[in-house]
Amino acid sequence: MSEKTIKVLLAKKKIDVHGRGSKLIARELRDAGMDVIYFRFGTADDIVNAAVQEDVDVVALSIMTSGHNLLVEDLIPMLKEKGKADVMLIMGGVIPKSDFEGLKKLGVHEVFPPGLPGETVANYIRENVGKVGLS
Amino acid sequence: MSNPKTSENFEKAKAAWEKARQRYADKIKPRKNLSGIEVKSVYTAEDVEGIDLDTMPGVYPYTRGLYPDGYALTPWMQQMVFGYGTCEETRAKMEKMVAEGMEGYFGHKVFNMVLDIPCMYGIDSDHPEARGNVGQCGCVLCSVEDYDEIMRDWDLKTTNFSYITGDNCLPALALACAAAERRGDSIDMLHGNSMNWYPRIAVQDIPSWEPKWGYALMGDLIKFCTNKVPAWNTTNIFMYGLSEAGATPLQELAYGLSWGKSVIDAGVNAGLAPDSFVGRIGFQIGIQNDFFEEVAKLRAHRRMWAKITKDAGCTKPQCQHARVHIHTSGNVLTAQQPLNNTARITMQVMAAIMGGVQSIHSCSFDEAISIPTEISHRTAIRTQQIMMWESGLRNVADPLAGSYYVEWLTDKMEKEAWEIYNDLESKGGYQKGLEEGWIKKAIDDTSYQRKQAVKEGKWPVVGLNMYQSDEEEDYQQFKVDLAIEKKAIEKLKAFKAKRSQEEVDNAIAHLRNTCFEFKEGKADLMPALVEAARKGVTNGEMTVPMREAFGWYVSE
Repeated sequence: MSEKTIKVLLAKKKIDVHGRGSKLIARELRDAGMDVIYFRFGTADDIVNAAVQEDVDVVALSIMTSGHNLLVEDLIPMLKEKGKADVMLIMGGVIPKSDFEGLKKLGVHEVFPPGLPGETVANYIRENVGKVGLS
Repeated sequence: MSNPKTSENFEKAKAAWEKARQRYADKIKPRKNLSGIEVKSVYTAEDVEGIDLDTMPGVYPYTRGLYPDGYALTPWMQQMVFGYGTCEETRAKMEKMVAEGMEGYFGHKVFNMVLDIPCMYGIDSDHPEARGNVGQCGCVLCSVEDYDEIMRDWDLKTTNFSYITGDNCLPALALACAAAERRGDSIDMLHGNSMNWYPRIAVQDIPSWEPKWGYALMGDLIKFCTNKVPAWNTTNIFMYGLSEAGATPLQELAYGLSWGKSVIDAGVNAGLAPDSFVGRIGFQIGIQNDFFEEVAKLRAHRRMWAKITKDAGCTKPQCQHARVHIHTSGNVLTAQQPLNNTARITMQVMAAIMGGVQSIHSCSFDEAISIPTEISHRTAIRTQQIMMWESGLRNVADPLAGSYYVEWLTDKMEKEAWEIYNDLESKGGYQKGLEEGWIKKAIDDTSYQRKQAVKEGKWPVVGLNMYQSDEEEDYQQFKVDLAIEKKAIEKLKAFKAKRSQEEVDNAIAHLRNTCFEFKEGKADLMPALVEAARKGVTNGEMTVPMREAFGWYVSE
């Protein structure tokens, strides 16, 4: 990876509760040298607009209370339409393992279970950013 | 009374003890509990010198419990959180839980129902932003008919309905009142609990009303209930929310009590005398994994609240009682090797019982993964029932009283909590701490430090940073059918079609007016909400004018 600082939009969906996990990940990605825009309470529209405006390399979605599949179904076509087809899309939070496969089929690059060290996420981003895109 | 410190036998025993450990004593380092308090390996009578142990259960300041005989008269209330789908699914679950033996004091029914996230935010199932969230993590309660369906056939005199709400707290109570009236019942018969926990936004990363109006709305609900629904529990001090956001037990205790004090102030500002409403404030407290620390926290909490309420002018014992509902900790549960969580939950329930609480929700072992399955939920309630009937834990009130360690730790937690509490009060109190972000900053920092410690292996978590396993557990997770969403929307549509649109529009216009009058101190809000609920105005429709008047505030 080049010297350029990786820019991450860490977004929590519009209606959700308990922000502990996402705040921790934001801080840990910053510790790892990334530029993190912590974006709370966004609809799919808001998230895409923020991703375009901030020209981020990574969109990371944090989910506590379900609705993850539908959010992704909305989000991916909108990101592509707005010229962000090269963005990395990852998710984390309280997401059942049995949904991981389906989310990846929809185009999400990686899904992380709760409780992981932020470094695991940072390493994944570093190794894959710029190499993946939304097909 | 002989002073054990100077007793010859004690001195002899102590000398022998010192000799027995001489060889390795310098290798033993004091350990720290979750709150960062150093704990020695042995406690003696010397450690409780000067601590007042001449107290009894059921007597001020209630360190040893609220009731003279603990659980001898009636055990704690089993208040399992539940709710998903529409009322139909949630009703089926209610009946199932009753069949499973879930009950409150003297066999009364207790329903601790969580609303779905859209309802909590004050949007109906048909709102575009609700998509994907309808009935997923709670029950859809949009209209007066929904509340009617939940209450149907239960005896209002012996059934307790707790509604776990968010910004829709006042609309939810208004809809419940209108539903009771539809059945021909008077609203003063209602038993249950509003959350009224606006101050949670100090730490929970969610938007809500502007602080000034958030507090005023709390006061309005308290005033309405004090005058019209006397048996209703108006306010839940959500210490569990502080704990889940990362607070140590000590921070949870200190900030929680400060939150409680801010509610007393809100009631007084609404024109009420403390003795008329403080007795209807209750606490919801978390239990993490250090057993004795949690017991000490609960004992210190009762004592401190008794002192705070007395200082605030409460004279009735009921108003000095810290009534506590326990929610065992969700954040300490691991998604890794989820069945291990049953051990954590069991220990937490034991700590709650040893701490003498009034009511318990025990988490299910799979909550770090999804909402509970039928089996995990049943196992969680059975955990309480095994404690209740098999263990003998409830035979004796405050059984850890007199333990050198527990009494010392109770006193220590109290002293340290007063320091944080007094500091916060001197700087303007909880509301100020919420507005200026000190509470969030302190708790976020703790949460970060804890995660660092877990990562570095300094804080052991079995299955996560030690004893990891690659073996998959055979686990079927619970899923709420997305078809629920369609069902909920159709139901709402059918309800709306039955209303008189003119009446609805008028009621909303009146509500909008009243919101602005309320801001000028010229009107109460709850009566206008109840009137709107009678006319068929929904949860989401009530929130629209409220949002216009009271704002959308994101805490920093």
